[in-house]
Parts: sequence; structure tokens; C-alpha cells
Amino acid sequence: MTTATVPNLTRTPVPFYFNTSAHLLRITRQKANTLSEFLNALRECPEGSIFQHSFRTLQEHHFIREGFSNDFAHWAVSACNEPSLAEGLASVDVREFTSVAELRERFVQIVESFLQRNPAAATRTARETFYFCASESVVIPTSFVARTLQEFAQGLRGVTVHCIHHHFIEARLRLKLMSNDFSQWLYEDMGLTEAARQLNRIDIYTVTLEDVRNQIIRIVERALI
Amino acid sequence: MEPVEQQIQSDSAVTQSSPEHSASSAPASPVRPERRRKPRTWETPPAPVPPTRLDDYKSIVGEAEIDELKFLARELKGKTVKMVNSTAVGGGVAEMLNQLVPLLNEMEVNTHWDVITGGNDFFEVTKAFHNALQGSDYNLTQHARDIFMMHNEQNRQRIQFSEDFIVIHDPQPAALISARQESQPKQRWVWRCHIDLSSPNREVWEFLRPFVEKYDAAIFSSQSFARQLPIPQYLFYPCIDPLSEKNKDVDDGFVQHVCDEFGIDRSRPIVTQVSRFDRAKDPVGVVHAFKQARKYVDCQLVLAGGGASDDPEGAAVLKEVKEAVGNDPDIIILDLPPWCALQINALQRASTIIVQKSVREGFGLTVTEALWKGKPTIAGAVGGIPNQIIHKLTGALVHSVDGCAYQIRYLLTHPDFARQLGQNGHEHVKENFLMSTNVRRWLLLLRILQSSGAN
Repeated sequence: MTTATVPNLTRTPVPFYFNTSAHLLRITRQKANTLSEFLNALRECPEGSIFQHSFRTLQEHHFIREGFSNDFAHWAVSACNEPSLAEGLASVDVREFTSVAELRERFVQIVESFLQRNPAAATRTARETFYFCASESVVIPTSFVARTLQEFAQGLRGVTVHCIHHHFIEARLRLKLMSNDFSQWLYEDMGLTEAARQLNRIDIYTVTLEDVRNQIIRIVERALI
Repeated sequence: MEPVEQQIQSDSAVTQSSPEHSASSAPASPVRPERRRKPRTWETPPAPVPPTRLDDYKSIVGEAEIDELKFLARELKGKTVKMVNSTAVGGGVAEMLNQLVPLLNEMEVNTHWDVITGGNDFFEVTKAFHNALQGSDYNLTQHARDIFMMHNEQNRQRIQFSEDFIVIHDPQPAALISARQESQPKQRWVWRCHIDLSSPNREVWEFLRPFVEKYDAAIFSSQSFARQLPIPQYLFYPCIDPLSEKNKDVDDGFVQHVCDEFGIDRSRPIVTQVSRFDRAKDPVGVVHAFKQARKYVDCQLVLAGGGASDDPEGAAVLKEVKEAVGNDPDIIILDLPPWCALQINALQRASTIIVQKSVREGFGLTVTEALWKGKPTIAGAVGGIPNQIIHKLTGALVHSVDGCAYQIRYLLTHPDFARQLGQNGHEHVKENFLMSTNVRRWLLLLRILQSSGAN
């Protein structure tokens, strides 16, 4: 195996430092027993709550292939018995958002629209309360650093799925780009435009995070050949 | 033949009655009189197990995960923590601290554990507080307040509080916050509440609240246990230790040995509930659900529990269970002492399905144990169980005997789906409810408090 050629590089590649983030759950004041209360809480809760119940829940349930996109959708179906609302909420792909504010707005729109069509559902008591929690995060380094594609592939194999989530899914909130740290490095520092693009096409909602890791590794290994 | 009931108590009495009767509703089953041998080797508690080390968890969660903990601990190196609770042995809190404290020390977060002292009067009051905070009726007298305050004051004078972080566990020592000194503004105090405060006795809670509000943060085991407080409240799920006797891997030979001792036929499906003989665990409901399910699918039921010998209510519940069982040869009742963790482990591993049909529950660590062993699990949707079981994804949640019976039938006849639930359940525990995750939460909390106090 040889080091991949680096086309179109305009600057010296910088190493890729694999970091990860650890999250602690803070219990907030917001909770909901009806969809009307849920809508109000969605508007008022801290951004950390929106992040927790969408981005983070995907990480907490990274081993599930289907049927669990975010906590809001899960509550809508399991506690409120509103499958069409749940489908709407579940269809929200966090990767289409580069800010939590935009993501919150999308969830609010979906619930508002549902309640306009189904006003009787607003005050129906849910079977379980929805408690809004917020994520408090600390970014921590790992021992993996990549200066070459081989090292990058090794790092991908060795890190935890939390690290994969940190760089591949959460990253867009930091980058404010519809991309991820891995693609950015492949594109900017390795000049691998196609591999970077392929990474962005991986569907994170129909596979586990381990599957995501394996798909990323396969794309990187193909770029190595 | 009557139901099998075994008691492994000091007298190792193994009850068995005549095999002439046959259960009216039960299908025919081979009589296996040899299955009631007396397991003498389990009469006494085993020797204590040495504390685990962080690297021991690498084989469970992976090296990278343990490295992350070490990186997380780096900025806390040399910091000091004091844990204070009310008992050194017995109970979940002491068990958890026995594991947590050495692990934090191993990462050079210097952690000391102190236990408060008090007379019978104090512990009678705090036991009553404990029950009242979980919803029981209680008349809080001035005398009880005085006893509570007097013993907290005595402990305040006895214990040094010079560490960077002070963590007070549960209500008994909550008033120790009065030891906080203005001369140590960077010191951070945390109240870790292990009990259910979702509907507390108002009088007792209003008595404790002013103390709790003086802490820098509070920790609860469930979102629903949190109160309206002016301090940050964090969620720490209870956890299991995958290396403990109850949860470590055991070889199949031992599993077979335990089944042989208890007369459990591993060639037939085994449905098991492990829990005290307590109405909150609805063992009678489990018997009814099992009997309904068995009309459609062959299976045995194992009810493994304890508490019947030293608790009058437990004995009464066991009697009710036996009445519900009647002369059913496929139901095996085991009244086990607390030191049979390894045998419980083996029983869980031998099971095809595990049930925890609680009607009231704290967190439900028996569910966590079942999920960790990759077992398809059916459980009541109460307490902390819905945090662990996501219906149809990591297990099955039920709300009634009928629901439980249906899920037993369904899972026994859809083994691929059942296997997938078991796998997901195992991963869910690995991600959220293991001791290593608990260590991570503590390190995170200390880091967050450190940055808030610029320690």
C-alpha cells in the first residue's frame, strides 16, 4: 500500500488530531405532559436541550439501525400515540443544520403545523412526561493523530464511536458548514475531493455508528489504493 | 407434583411436596425428583472480591474508551474529593462507592470516603425521612428535626472538609453543607440523591430543601426525581459493574451446574424473573402471565428472589405466589440469600427471556443486568425502566398481565426478533449504564464544577 497522491494541494497538510466529546446530562426546568406544553418547551428550552434530544440521542442509541431518530419523535409515538407527528419529527436530519437555532425552528414548525391540523391533540395528556435535558460537553483529546491516510485509517479503527460522532456528526455545528471534520481534512489537507464528498453521502439514520465507521474506513481505504 | 421451591438459607431447607398431584392447567411435564438436591456449597457468603482496576474494563468497553477516561481525568490530577454517606456496607450506595472510589484514586483524583455516625434515634429518623421522601405519610415532629440536626452537627465537627469537592450522598448527611466555609470559595459541594423525590412528603422536603439549595449542584437518578431548585441538577443513571459476580462472564459449565442444582431443564425455554418477593415486583402477575402464555408455547418459569425469610411482607407475598402457582410443575420458585450473585448470574444467562413485571420501581437494576446479558427482556413501564427499555428496540414494555403474556408468547415464537432486542439491549447498557460510564459522568461533573469554580 502506498501513500495516496495529493492532488490540488494549496498548502502544507496539517495533522488530523482525533478528539472526542464527553457529555453530561443536566435536567432542565422544562417538561411536557401534552403536545401544547411540548411546543412551548421546545421554544423555551436551552439550545443544549435541542442538541441533546436530536444530535446526542443519535449517539446514545448508536447501535440501533432503524426506528429511532430523535427523542422528540420517539415520545410523539410512544407517549402521545401520534405516528404522523412522529414521522415528521423523525424525518429531520440533523446534518441539514449548521446551527441549533435552525434545528429548533424546524422542530417547532413541524409541531405547530401538526397542531394546526389536529387541534384536539394539543391538550391530550401523554402517557409519559417528556423531560427536557440539556447536554453539557467537554472536548477531550485522544492518543490518535494522523499525518497520512494510513494513519488516518488506523485512527478511525482505533477511536471510540463517540469520537466518530464528534467529528462526523456534531462537527457541523462547529464548522457551520454542511460537512464534517473528516471530509474537511480529506479535502483541504489531502486533496481528496471525491472521498470527502462520499463521506458526506453516508446515511447515518439507517445504520449503526459502527457501520458508519466502517463505511468511512472503506472510503478512506479506497482512496489509499 | 407441586411447584419447586428451594430455599438456600442457613438451614438450606429445600421444600418439596408430593409428586402425585398434577396441575390442572399445566401441560404434562416429566417429573424430575432429582432436581431438588441441596446446594451446600452456597450456604455461606463468598470471600470479598478485590477491587477492580480501570484497565480491567478494557476487555469490556475497549481500550480507547478507557483512554478517554484517563484523558478526562488529566485536568483533575491532584484534586481532592470527599464522598460522604451513611453506611460503609450494604445497600447500593456503599456498593457503588466501593467501586468508584478506588477507580478515581487510580486516576490520581484523590478521593476519600467518610461515613457518618449516629445513634439508633438518628437512623430511625432518617429511615422515616427516606420513606417520607418517597411518598409515605409522616408527621415531622420538632423532636425528629432536633435529632437530625444534632447528629449532623456532631458529624460536622468530627469530619474535616478541606477537599476541593465534597459529595454528600442522600438525605441523612444533607445538613453537613453547614460545614461550608467562606474561606474556601472555590470548594464545590454536590448533593447526590439516590432516592425517588418525584412525590415527596411536603413537610420533610421543605425541611431539607434549604440545605439542598446551598449546594452547587444536585444529582438525581431519573429526570422525574428532580425538583424545582435554584441549582443545576444532573442526571446520573445507576449502573452495574460488568466485572462483578452478578454480571461477569461465566462459563457454560457453571450455568449448566446451577440449572442442574435447581432442576431447570435447559432443553426447554426458560422465562425468569429475578427480584425480591415484593408486591411492587408483581410476582403473582408474572405467574398469571406465564400460565396464559404457556397455553400457546412450551416454557418454564423461574421466580428467583429473596427477602421472604427476614421480611414479614416478603413471606406473605411468597405465600401468595405459591397459591397462584398451585400444583404447577413448570414453575420453580427460588428463595435465595443475598450472596448468591453468581448463581443469579447463571440463572439469568440460562434464561430464554427475562421478565421484570414491576408495578413500582426505582431504576430497575435487574433489568440492566438482564439487558447486559443480551437477554430479550419484558418489563413494566414504570420508574427508570423506560430509560432502559425502548419498546420494540431494546426490549418490550408492558402495562398489564395480558401484555406480559402476549410478549412472552411473541418473543418465544420470534427468536430472531428476540435476539435483536437482546443485542440492542446489551449495547444500550454498554453505552449508558456501566460502571465505566458512571466514572465518566463523575469526571465530567468535576471538570464542569472545576471550571465554574476555577479550582
